[in-house]
Amino acid sequence: MIVLENLTVRFGGLVALDAISAGFAAPVSGIIGPNGAGKTTTMNVISGFLSPAAGQVLVDGTDLLTLPPHRRTRWGLRRSFQREQIADDLTVWENLLAITDNLRLGRREARAEAEQAMEFAGVAVIRDKAGAALNTFERRLTDLARCVAGGPKLIMLDEPAGGLSPEETGRLGDLILRIGEVSGARVLVIDHDVDLIQRICAQTLVLDFGRRIAFGPTAEVLDDPAVKAAYLGVDHA
Amino acid sequence: MRHRALAPILVAVLLVGLLPGIVGGQWVKIFTSTTCFALAAAGAGFMYARLGMVSLAQVALMGVGGWVTLRLNHATGLPFEANLLVGALAASVLGMVLALPALRMRGLYLALVTLMVAGAFEVIFTAYQFPNGGAGFWGVGTSFSAPMRRPLLGESDTAYLRYCLAVGVLGFLLIELHRRTAPGRAWALIRRSEAAALASGVNVTLYKTWAFGLSGFLAGLGGGLLAASLGLLDAATFKASESVLLFALVVVGGTRFWFGAIVTAILYRVVPGLLNNWGVDADLALVFFGAALLHAVITAPDGIAGQIAALFAWRAPHDRA
Ligand SMILES: Nc1ncnc2c1ncn2[C@@H]1O[C@H](COP(=O)(O)OP(=O)(O)OP(=O)(O)O)[C@@H](O)[C@H]1O
Ligand SMILES: [Mg+2]
Repeated sequence: MIVLENLTVRFGGLVALDAISAGFAAPVSGIIGPNGAGKTTTMNVISGFLSPAAGQVLVDGTDLLTLPPHRRTRWGLRRSFQREQIADDLTVWENLLAITDNLRLGRREARAEAEQAMEFAGVAVIRDKAGAALNTFERRLTDLARCVAGGPKLIMLDEPAGGLSPEETGRLGDLILRIGEVSGARVLVIDHDVDLIQRICAQTLVLDFGRRIAFGPTAEVLDDPAVKAAYLGVDHA
Repeated sequence: MRHRALAPILVAVLLVGLLPGIVGGQWVKIFTSTTCFALAAAGAGFMYARLGMVSLAQVALMGVGGWVTLRLNHATGLPFEANLLVGALAASVLGMVLALPALRMRGLYLALVTLMVAGAFEVIFTAYQFPNGGAGFWGVGTSFSAPMRRPLLGESDTAYLRYCLAVGVLGFLLIELHRRTAPGRAWALIRRSEAAALASGVNVTLYKTWAFGLSGFLAGLGGGLLAASLGLLDAATFKASESVLLFALVVVGGTRFWFGAIVTAILYRVVPGLLNNWGVDADLALVFFGAALLHAVITAPDGIAGQIAALFAWRAPHDRA
């Protein structure tokens, strides 16, 4: 269970998150909302890049906010970013090792974890390709592999399908649904692609201007008039 | 991949095996000091290429390594290697202290902080000079100069050049070892973005400090080696402007390839010597370097090393396909 409790973040006068509460129990859950709604900000708080003015984040009873950011990774937190973060100077394999390096695993165990994650995301065949030479889909897959490596407990994907074709998005969605087969991690997905969210997320939180406008089973949430209004607002913008 | 590994081995064998045998006269010392500066340049170069951090105190850190090595040489009977190692470690520790501002700053501001540190050392070195066997903490006597011991394997100038080249090879291997292991991967992530590094569990503070420490270590090694080449050191060698010049040449030489540092050191030490031989004012080298820097910034972002690599169609470690 991922519990956000009363999470509040302010940037000067701007209230980016206004006392957000939600409890995600599904294996894969979504966070949606128009641009600037506070989705990434929520993940930044969970990652430890931002300290909230108030509130708590509890994952299966662990208070994440008390750990420094790099220790959260060792605990089992993984995330990808809106803009993929593959190191250009490293190969796909090295990009994976770059995360297992920091997990307090033995050398063999770390390599086995990295190997398994590459296999899972289907990037083992391009293991020696340099980050700089990867296309968008390969980058997104490598990012996903990094998130799956080393026994994660919570994986957060910030617009993982950004820049992908519908077919690639479909394949990525399949992979996200299969994360449960290779790890016990819960997954939190942000995306603007409502079809993807509808397909892979059992529960969804909808934010708008930092406020929670809906939360619950995805189908119900997407039917909510307030959600429709928020998205119509975007369409007209 | 195969011949990529071959080139460095070949260069190392040629340098250590042949160079000391074929150069003579003043050139022995010039190449020795070239090797010392190549170590420092390699440190500054890897920090720039791997972490995008500019350190303008590299020559000052050489001075620190040289100072400590000289001080121990005159105060103790320890073997050369021990003094050299302690000198390099001292420069390494100072490098790590420099990392403290680097944890909060990047780019121009960090460069300015390191430049101020270089300026501070210039003042200290000029005021107190380098130990020459005199009394007291500073160890400077006015009317005499005690000799600097050399390693047993490098008593003659030629043998000492070979010794320095061998240490130089070890220094380059040390960097390569880092590049291929966890620190190199952590640095690559930090360069990508600190958020990416943190999200991957990288202890950014630790690895940034480590990078500065390694870079300082290499500079200190170069400084200590230089001290034993010359017997004594002069404050003018370690002025802040020299740190700036060396960094500019690091950019000209190219940081993405290991031999960029060699190109840098050749520009820094050999080119002025050549100009001198040809009867040209060595200060003209500065004009030439300025033009080369413009050229590098505008048309050759990977420096001369990048152009050499293009000639042989080698690729930098990060665009191997
Ligand atoms: N570091 C920051 N400093 C100041 N304001 C910020 C900062 N980060 C985000 N914001 C503001 O907070 C609000 C929420 O931003 P956030 O990035 O969370 O939006 P988002 O829902 O992820 O949007 P998008 O779909 O465009 O990615 C925006 O108004 C944004 O401008
Ligand atoms: Mg966002």
